[in-house]
Parts: sequence; C-alpha cells; structure tokens
Amino acid sequence: MKKIFKLTSITLALVLIGGIFSCTNLDETVYDTIPADQFGQKPAEINAIIAPIYKTLKSVWPGDVFLLSEQAGDMAITPTRVGGDWWDGGVHMVIKLHTWHARNGLINGSWNACMSGITTSNQIYATIENTEMDADLKARTLAEIRGIRAFWYYILIDYFGNAPLVADYTSTELPGMSTRQQLYDFVVSELNEIKDVLRADVTSESYGKFTQGAAYTLLAKLYLNAEVWTGTPNWQGVIDAADKVMSLDYIIEPNWKTNFEVNNEVSREIILPITFGKSDGGNHMHYRTLHYLDPIALGMNIGTWNGVSAQPNYVKQFDDEDLRKEGSFLMGPMTDPSTGEVLITGHARPLIHTVDFNIIPGSIREGMWGEVHQEEGARCNKWVFEKGLSSSDQENDFAIFRLADVYLMKAEALLRLGLNNSEATRLINVIRERGFGNDSHNHASVTLDDLYMERRLELAWENSNRQDMIRFGTFLDPGYLRPNPSPDHLLLFPIPEAAWETNNNLVQNPGYPAF
Amino acid sequence: MKSKNVSLLKGAIFITLWIFTLNAFAQVLTVRGTVTDANGDALIGVTVQVQGTTTGTVTDMDGEYTLPNVSPNATLEVSYVGMQTEVVSVNGRNRIDIEMSDDTEVLDELVVVGYGELRRREITGSVTNVTSESFNQGVTRDAADLLQGKVAGLRITTPSGDVTDGTRIRLRGVSTLQNDQGPFIVIDGVPGGDLQTVAPQDIESISVLKDASSAAIYGSRSAGGVILITTKRGSGLRPRISYDGYLAVSSIANKPDLLTADEWREYARNSGSDPSVYDQYGASTDWFDEITRKGISQNHSLSLSGGGSNNNYRASFNYLNSEGVVRDNDMERYNFRFQIQQRAIEDRLRVSLTGSATMRDFNQSNRYNFVLAYNMLPVYPVKLGNGEWFDTREYDQGNPVRNQQYNQNLRKNLHYYGSGDVLFNLMEGLDIKTVLYKERRSEERSQYNHSETQAGRNDGGYALRENRIWDKSLMEWLLEYNTNFGASEEHGLNLLAGYSWEENEYSFMRASNRNFTTDLLGANNLESGQGLRPSDVGSSRNMNRLISFFGRAHYSYMSKYMVTATLRRDGSSKFGANHKWGLFPSVSAAWGLSEEAFMDNVNWINDMKLRVGYGVTGNQAGLDPYRTLQLYGTSGTYYDNGAWLTAYQISQNANPDLKWEETAMFNVGVDFFLFNNRLSGTIEWYDKRTKDMLYTYRVPTPPFLHSDMMANVGDMSNKGIELALSYDAVRSSNFTWNTSVTLAHNRNEITSLSDDVYTTSRILVGDAWVRGGSGRTTHVVEEGYPVGQFYGPDFIRIDDEGKYVFRDSEGNETNAVTAEDYTYIGSAQPDLTFGWSNQFNYKNWDLSFFLRGTLGNRVLNMGRMTYGHPGYLIGANALNDPLIHQLSVVPEYSSLYVEDASHIRLDNLSLGYTFNTNNISWLERARVYATGQNVFVITNYKGLDPEVDENRNNGLAPGVEDREYYPKSRTFSVGLSLTF
Repeated sequence: MKKIFKLTSITLALVLIGGIFSCTNLDETVYDTIPADQFGQKPAEINAIIAPIYKTLKSVWPGDVFLLSEQAGDMAITPTRVGGDWWDGGVHMVIKLHTWHARNGLINGSWNACMSGITTSNQIYATIENTEMDADLKARTLAEIRGIRAFWYYILIDYFGNAPLVADYTSTELPGMSTRQQLYDFVVSELNEIKDVLRADVTSESYGKFTQGAAYTLLAKLYLNAEVWTGTPNWQGVIDAADKVMSLDYIIEPNWKTNFEVNNEVSREIILPITFGKSDGGNHMHYRTLHYLDPIALGMNIGTWNGVSAQPNYVKQFDDEDLRKEGSFLMGPMTDPSTGEVLITGHARPLIHTVDFNIIPGSIREGMWGEVHQEEGARCNKWVFEKGLSSSDQENDFAIFRLADVYLMKAEALLRLGLNNSEATRLINVIRERGFGNDSHNHASVTLDDLYMERRLELAWENSNRQDMIRFGTFLDPGYLRPNPSPDHLLLFPIPEAAWETNNNLVQNPGYPAF
Repeated sequence: MKSKNVSLLKGAIFITLWIFTLNAFAQVLTVRGTVTDANGDALIGVTVQVQGTTTGTVTDMDGEYTLPNVSPNATLEVSYVGMQTEVVSVNGRNRIDIEMSDDTEVLDELVVVGYGELRRREITGSVTNVTSESFNQGVTRDAADLLQGKVAGLRITTPSGDVTDGTRIRLRGVSTLQNDQGPFIVIDGVPGGDLQTVAPQDIESISVLKDASSAAIYGSRSAGGVILITTKRGSGLRPRISYDGYLAVSSIANKPDLLTADEWREYARNSGSDPSVYDQYGASTDWFDEITRKGISQNHSLSLSGGGSNNNYRASFNYLNSEGVVRDNDMERYNFRFQIQQRAIEDRLRVSLTGSATMRDFNQSNRYNFVLAYNMLPVYPVKLGNGEWFDTREYDQGNPVRNQQYNQNLRKNLHYYGSGDVLFNLMEGLDIKTVLYKERRSEERSQYNHSETQAGRNDGGYALRENRIWDKSLMEWLLEYNTNFGASEEHGLNLLAGYSWEENEYSFMRASNRNFTTDLLGANNLESGQGLRPSDVGSSRNMNRLISFFGRAHYSYMSKYMVTATLRRDGSSKFGANHKWGLFPSVSAAWGLSEEAFMDNVNWINDMKLRVGYGVTGNQAGLDPYRTLQLYGTSGTYYDNGAWLTAYQISQNANPDLKWEETAMFNVGVDFFLFNNRLSGTIEWYDKRTKDMLYTYRVPTPPFLHSDMMANVGDMSNKGIELALSYDAVRSSNFTWNTSVTLAHNRNEITSLSDDVYTTSRILVGDAWVRGGSGRTTHVVEEGYPVGQFYGPDFIRIDDEGKYVFRDSEGNETNAVTAEDYTYIGSAQPDLTFGWSNQFNYKNWDLSFFLRGTLGNRVLNMGRMTYGHPGYLIGANALNDPLIHQLSVVPEYSSLYVEDASHIRLDNLSLGYTFNTNNISWLERARVYATGQNVFVITNYKGLDPEVDENRNNGLAPGVEDREYYPKSRTFSVGLSLTF
C-alpha cells in the first residue's frame, strides 16, 4: 500500500510538472489568412473588402444566368452533338423545349448566383457600415453596395419573380418569400435613395463601379418591364431615367466593335461592365462556343468545348449587309492557315459552321430534339478572339448595360406612349446606322416591331432576348424545335428544389408542382 | 550485502568491480547437452548463448552442443527459428538437455500495445499482432503489403498499378464521411507516422489495435483503429549483418480489349462511313502496348546489428527502385535507419536514439494518357514515315507516347526524423520516460509539359515547381508502474500516466509559367516563360497543436481475470472555441477460461480467453486548421482604375462548434488454442457507432454567406463479425503445412444526417462524367444506407432502336428516366472479405500461397460506360464490346455498368529454399525465393480489375474503375536473403 501511495504522489507531481512545463495552450496561429477583426482599417484594405461585390457580377455571363436566358428565349442553343457531347442529361434541351423543372442545373445555378450576390452585398454592407472612414466615401461606398444588391434583385424579379427579400446580414433567420411587387418596390426605392449619392463621372476611375449611370439604367430597366412585373406600366419613368443617363458623359462608340474588343475598357458606351482579366478569369465564351479545331483557324492555342451556338432563325433575321451579322456570328468554312485547306472534324466532315442544324435521323431524344453534327451552328463571334491566346480565359469585358440599350429603351417607351416617333426613329437609326456602317438602311419612321427587331440585332448574346420576348409577348409562342405554345407559368422559372432543401420556408412559383 | 546508503555512483563502481572480479577468478565449466523438439527429434543449428555475453555456439547434426568456459551462475539462452526461445540457468550443471517448444505457444510473448507492451495472455482488447516471420513476401513497398490478408477486418486494397500510389487501409469499415484515412499509424511509439518511412525489411512486428478499448488511448485520432509498427533492434547476443534483395518483373495484368486496326476497319466498312481520312498511314497500333512496358524493380536491403550487455544498435539501408508498367511511372526510394540504445546506472537509465531518413524520387503517371490510348485510332501511327510524331487535336485525343516521352512530373520527397527517449527506473517497477521527437518532410515537384505534346501544346509549354514542407514536434512524458502483489504475487498491476504535446506546421509554395521559347530548359528556368499570370504563384501555411493527457490501468489475477481501463483527454487547436477538449474513455475485461480449475480436464482446449470491451475514440482527420474562425482570405483580383488589385473576402462560414467525430465501439471476442495448439483462432463481434460526423453541409444563402459549412452532424454505424483461424494440418519433422483463414463481415449504415440546425436526408455524390453526361451522380449518402451506395437508374435491356430501357419508379419500362426513377443499385462495400493462406515446409523448402477476395461488392465499370459505345466511332476508338453494336445513344449511368465485383485473387505465391549453413561458420542463414504476385483473378467483373480505389471522392464514391484507370500489374520476383 505504501508503494501505491508513493506512486500516486509521484504521478500527481508529474502531472503538475507537465502542466507548468508546457501548459495547455491551444490557440491557433493563423498564417495564410487574416482573422476578421484584424483587417479592414486602411483605405486599400477597405477597397479590397468591397471588391467581392463586383466579382459577383462574373456569374452573370457567360455561365448559367446567360445560358438560361438566351436558351429559354430564341437566341442561343447548346445542341446535343453526334455521339452525345453536351447531352448532359438534357439540361440544355429542357430549357430550349420549355420542359424545364425545379431540378434543372441552369435554373439552380442562376438562383444561387443571385443569392450569393445579395448575401455578399449584405455582408460587405454590414462590414463597411461599421468601418471608420471618410464620411462621403463611406456614403458612396454603401450606395455602390446597395446598387449591386439592387441589380441582383432585378435578376431575381426577372427570372423567378418571387423570392426572399433579405437586406440585413445580421439576421440569422431562414427567410420566407416576398412577392414580385415587393421586390420591385424595394429595388426602385433603393435605387432612388442611392442614385444621387453615386458618382456620375464616366472616366477610367469610375469604370467597373456602380455609378449614377448604372443606377438610372437599372431604373429604366425596371420601369421598362413594370407592366409585366407589376401590372402597372411606367413608360414615362423609362424616358426620364434614360434622359438622365444620356445627359451623362457616355457616348455611342463610333465603332461598334469597340464595345467587344479584347481591351474594351476604353469604351465610353459601357455603363456597367463585368471586368474580366486574365489574372482572374471568367470570360470563357471562346471555350464554350468554339469547335475543337476552330482555334487552329483563329490562331489560338486553347482546348475548346464546342458548345453554345446561335439558333438558326435568330441568325436569319440579320440582313447580310448588316455588319453585326458577321460581327455576332462565326459562320462558314474554317481553314487551316498552314495548308489553306478546310479542317476536318473527328467525324470526317469538313469544319463548316452552317447556320442550320440537321438532326441526324434516328437520334431523337425528346420531341424534335436530336443529335447534330459537330460543325453545325453559327458560333458567337461578338467578343473579339485574342490571337495567340494560350490556354486562358479572355480579357474582353462584358457590358451588362451600355448606352445603345438605353437609346433603344427610350425609343421603346416613346413608341409605347405614342409620343414623338421622330425622336424614336432618330434613336433607333443611330444604332442602325452604326450597325450597317452606312445610313442606307435607316428607317424613315419606326414601329414597335422595328424597335423589337433592332434590339435583337444589336443585343445578340447580351442576356436581353428572353426579357424582350416576354415584354413583347412572343416568349410563349411556338418556336424553333418547339411546335406548340407554352403554358403561361413558364414566364417565371421555378424556385430550385435544391434551394428549398436547405430552406423549407421557400414556396414554389404558381404552375409548378408545390414542394 | 550492500548498504542502501551507498551513493549510486559508488554502487555502480562497486558492481562493476565485483563483476570483473567474478569473471577473473571464478571457476568455469564446460556445458554440454542436446537440444530436441517436442517430439524428441534433434534440432540442428540451434543457437546456444551465454546470456549477456558473446560466448555461444550452435548445435551439430545430432543436436549436440558444447560450451566451454561457462560460469556456474550463468544463464543460457537457446534460440531457433520457429521455436520459442528458452532461458536456462546453469546452476553449476555441466550437462543440460533442452527441449524446445513450437512458437505457437505465443501467449507469453510481449505484444506492443498503445504506449507500452503487454503479455499476449494479459491483453483484454482486440489486438492482432503479426511478426516478421509471417510477413508476406515478394515486392513489398510498405507495412501494408506485409499485412495483406493477415488480419481479419483489416481491408488493404491497391487502388491501381501506379507504383507511387500507396495502399488504402480500412479497419472495420468506414467511420467518417471525411476521406477516411484508415488506421492511425504509430511507428516505434511515435504517433502519426508515415508507412513510407519504414522499409518493410526493418519491421519486426506490427500490432493492429482493432477495437476502441485498445485504441482509445490514442484519443481523437484513433477512430479508424491503430497500427503500431515496431522496428527491428539489435540484440546483445551477436553482431549480425543481413542482406535482402530481390529483382522483379512486372507486366500489365489486364489490358482493355479495344478494337484492333483490322477490327476497326471492318467496323468502318459495315458502318458505311468513309474511313479514308483516318486510315491513310497504313498503321496498326496498339496504343496500350505503346504506353506500357515490362517494369523492372529491385530492392536491396542491408542491415547490421549487435551490441553488448549494456547496449545494442542497429543500422540499415534500403534501396528500392520500382518501375511501373506505364512508361512514365517509376519510383526510387532510399531508407536509412539507425537506432542505438544504452543502459547505465545499474541498468536504471536507458537512453535510445533513433534517426531515420527516407528519400523518394518518383514520377507520377499522367493518367490522361490512358484516355488518349483508349480513344486514339489503331490506324494512327505513333510516328509518321518521316520520323515525325503523329498527333491530332481532336477532343480527348493526342499522342500519349509523345506525352510520355517529352513530359515530366517528378517529385522529390525527403522525410527525416530523429527521436531520443530517456527512461529512468525510479524505484522497483516504476519507470519514467520522456520522448522528444522532431520530424521534417519536404516535397519538391517539378513538372514540364513540352510545347509540342498534347499536354503542353495549349500553353506553349507549361512548367510548374511546387514545394511543400511538413514539420512536426512532439514531446511525451510517461510514467509506468508494474507490480505484483498478494501472497503468491497473484495480483498483477500495470499503471501508466502520460502527457503529450504535439505541434504540426505545413507550408506550401508554387510557381508556374507557360509559353516558352524553347523546351530545352524544362521546369528549370521558370522565368524564361512568357505567359506569367498572377495566379501562377501561390503559397500557404498553417499549423495545429494537439495536447493530451492519458492513463491506463491494467489489473490481472493469475491470468484468469483481467481488466483494463484507459482515459485520454485531447485538446486540439483545430477544434472550435466551444469544444476545445474531448474525453476518450475505455474499459475492457478478459477471462482466461482455460486457467480455471474446472478446465484442467478439458485436454483439447490448450488455451481459451473471453474478452469484452467498450471504448470511445475520435477522428479529426477531416478537420483542417482554422475552420472554426471568421477569416479574410484572398479572392482573386479586381479591377480598379486600370489596375488589377487583390480582393479579400470572408473565406468561410465559421463554425465555432466544430469538434472531433466520436466513435464508440463495443467488442466481444474469444481467443483459443485447441487440439494441442493445432488449431488456434479468434472470433469477434463488434458494434461501432460514430456520431457528430464532420461533413460540409449545404446551407441556405441568405442568411449564410457561403453555400456550405462544415458541421458535426451525422451518425453512422458499423457492425461486424470477424473470424481468424489457423490450423497446423501437418506437423512432422520433415513436412509441415499450416493453413489459415480470415473472414470479415461488416455492415455499414449511415443512421443520421440531420440535427436541429442542419437537415438533409440525401446527398448525391460521385461524378460519372462521360462525354455528354455531365451533372450525373453515381452514389448517394443517405440515412439507412451504407457509404458507397450506388444510386441510379435500374437497367432492364437495350431495345431494338439501341436505346436503354430502364425501370421507372412505377415499375414500367421507359427510355428516359428522371430523378424520381433513380433507385439503389448496389453497394461498393463487400458483404464478406476473406483471405486464405497456406504455408508448406518440406525439409529446406518452403512454399506458400495466399488467396484473397471479396463477396457482394459492386464496381462501376466506367471504362465500359465511357468507351463501350459507338458514339464517336469511327473517329475515335472503342472497346470491342457487344454494346458498340447495340447502343445508339449517349452512354448513361445505370445498373448495367454497376457490376458484381466479387472475386478471388491469387495474391501471392512463393517458393523458397533455405540452405544448410551449419558447416559454414561465417554464414548464419541463406535463403533464395521466387514469388509471383497478383497471379490471377477469378471474377465475373468485366473491367480491368475488381478492386479499385476506396478513397475516391473523399471515400464517398468508392468502387469506380475510372475512365483513366491505371491497370494493375502482375509481378514475378526472385530474391535472396543472407545473414552473416
């Protein structure tokens, strides 16, 4: 027993020594990231904290948000290629055929892009609100953040109509649904509150920021669609907002392509861009659209995907003399510069991008949807391909808003109100004359149909098509590969099932199976 | 005779003098005798040694030995391979005959357990010990190869034929959703080791702690079980030099059956397509033959060991050069290991020093070359007639041979550690020990993709250099007390208390560049590239600390009743502020049934022990440092007034509640030796329940910033039964045959994936990407189902139009399935894992073979799914499979491709011959052997190999033979072992 006693005391002593000797400190030394409370004091740090709100815009184009809009409309298509490339379980087909469901990946991706944009804005707003900085700068910064958040709500209103309205990052509750009208009122009121706090200059310093120009253009977009979204039109609101934008220092660039060049940040037509750079990537349109062998013809070194193409009827609307036709679409034979001969695809066919698709007999998957040959379909040619590019995304920025669109919005509002057709004609002709490179195709006077057509010619691949079709009432009409009219509820996309799985307070849109 | 007051130093001097005096003046004897086995047969070549000296001899042809100059008080140690070492006191006798008994009487040998050793007889938990005599032979890369099939419930799988790829080890099923790391490795007492650092030839024994009552003393890292590796040590008896070496030839075991040039031409003719665009080179190429080879491997292992009465040492060097069957895959490894141990202060102080260095240079195969080899047409040549390389830019095509020849992906790995431990005997039975350990592991990667090859052409040449360093520091204090008390010392008590402090640090840096004017510089001059981007450099660094207190009490009464309790308290810096410390208790008991008096008359039972144990273990491998904190991390760059600046963003949804996963296991077992020790074995049953499983859950945005968040939520259950039997079928003096079987059944089930905050019932995982098949998942993680549950359409047949016909959710036939029609189509986990080994000895010959396999598991044959359809014919090659004539649609994941992968493999076949070295005084042992590994596989599985990677997709989508699967090899080797 004595032994045991001795043992116990030694054990105790040892534990004591151990405790003192090297303690029980379990603090983490953080090396490659920064504890949140130690960052965001210096101006450069504050600037770096704000940046992610702008980076959220990268999901607007050319990913899910773009594919959903342009493929649900009549502009773009990702056909299933021979052998099955791009079938992907019919993810693109159901969008084109208007047979989509709440599990579709593009719909889910678009929803997530909006939610991430909104929550990122909320979080950064909460951070900046509690940061000590110059009062004017702070006010303007907070306004920019609210502007980007308003933009994401605008996409939600357009695509999904009803969605949660959350503007407070500190709230930890699972949000429920707000109506389209509530979201609309929120966005309009936000924009009205911030528009005069934002910077108005059109300079390299304001490029890429949410400016007064962006706020008024976004307001114009809301008013333009007010009839569809709220039942109450507001055409005069469009005119007023557009006038305000046109009074700022933006110009219609004399050369249309200036807006799509590799270094298009020089364009003063662009009101709100997604800024793409090689250092951060994001503009992968060339990967998405080009055939595997196109880079040989175009002098690029990239392994492309042979995906999205234009719908044939959309291309066929273009007049052959319209410079925007070849400026928007890559068509015809693709030749190997080293031999001068047309390239041959892996299916032993010449690489000629035809406008039309020919469904291969026996390959029907659903309805009229079947497989087509690799080389078929006009490709996106709007953003200039960078010669010599090596395995990289492109740098061309994408204009979410540009002045040409504002011109056309104002013209539309004038026409809708039956006011001043000559001003509407002038506005449309400015765009048209630039598009053709001469005035011989100018209109003497214009109708709403002319206006609609001009939007389609000017804004191909620019996420405008679906919204325009809905406003002009053509969205549900039968179309390419789609012989029957679509039911009304397809004017809104369904709330994704995956979103409901994490938040049971969400309610499905009318017409879709309830959760 | 000595006063206790004499100082220690004086005492030591006195003892030394006394020993010298004794040696110089005492009377000496010449001891003679015969050594026999249990049957009375003479044993030849038995070592008879005077303990603590270098005086010794071996028995002659008649089993006789003669030892002159032996002190009457000396002790003889008698040892022989396959026999238990006997220790006999001379006691003034000059004739001592010794009967040795078989090594099957292993109950008294010491077995390494957590932080100590116990006699096998006394162990209360589930511990399987494998010693070097029974290790697997042939090409063995690491300890796992030695153990294959030896331990019931320990599943060791080889994911591919890549010689740089390690084995996957799982004990008693999967117990986490976070990339199960398998058992925790402890090398010579140092926790958290790497199997690569120990050459198989240096390993003396391996203990596998299977149940939680044994493993719980390793706390928050032991939920996957524990493997304790003990390396060989020098013995004080005689200096030894050993050499082991082998030469091996590997060839591809199974090659995909692709269309040959003639078959392709015939297919083209029948299809009506014009083949002339492709078939203009007159070539007939087997692309798999072009990218594979016969791999030559060699291993040389040299060790020396020895020591005196107060010390021992061992040093070893091992060289392994292994070539994969694919041309761009090889590994060269050097292991150095050095151990020295010395005693002082009347043997009360023991100091050990260990140093180990492992250097590995290895080239990992570019697996995309397999995709190219599948797709490239057999009518394409490797090179054109003018000697130029043939190449194509077609999707998923390009010249794989050119890739292999010009591109490089070399890693150089250096792993070294040193440890010192000091043990001091405070009083009788009470030892204090401290261990100090420092380890550094570094890896440099150097990759270059030549500008003209498929892999490098889009970048105009691509170079990458990476550097990683892992540092580990460890300090341990242990206090151990051993005593026997009672009238006849029938009570045994062993107590252990310990403290451990461990810190790990990891740092990484990377730089790459592209667009090189010349390919001559490779990755050795990154600055010469002309395509540098900000994202081409990267770096990171992190740390974590683990502090633990632990203890064990073991009590035994006459080897009849034994009970063990352990407790560990682990604190980790990785855990959240709300859960910094975890407690891991265990208790187990055993009853030595055969020791009871009433069993004395039961002669057929030599030994029988019943065991029961319960313990709680943890796992924190899936938890990275800093996961619990709110942090800013960089987030690419942003545009600001003409410049691109670095953006910072809150990098994760911080969760201050994060902690370890907790696994509780209940285990009962029985160990037995029956029929004169002919039949021995163990039967065990366990119930293992894991809770608070870490998983990155999807969370709603808003309110959360990021759409996922790591949390401790789900529960999982593993229940199983294990059987290990060993039977000496023939025991005669010239011929022995031992046959042994291991069987293990484990049933894994996810029992919950939700709690109050996080709710999910079904997580779809696993990618089955084929061209045109994005967005499909293969597996489901769901309550009520096991990990590795395949989930997809139920295939019925292919219809006349060449379309798949599936069963929909209502049981009707359909061509197009929706998500509702997905169903459960088999599990990647086997119902039964088995191994059967046989060892024959005839005179100097030994022969062994080992079969192993599984029943009831399924494997997704992605190779067949990807390449077994006509979609890209004739522009790309395809498998010569009936499906290429039947199908007309895009391959679609379904039960058609989820095949039964039950199989039996002849894993190892060895024949050896041991030379009679009795008459060669300078040679102790000489053996030659030949081994065949992966000799054949019997299975209905149609792919290349029914055993595939268990860790795919963090272990959540296992059982898939991927489209870039690296086929396994069949290896034949010849080897030589010499001991001088």
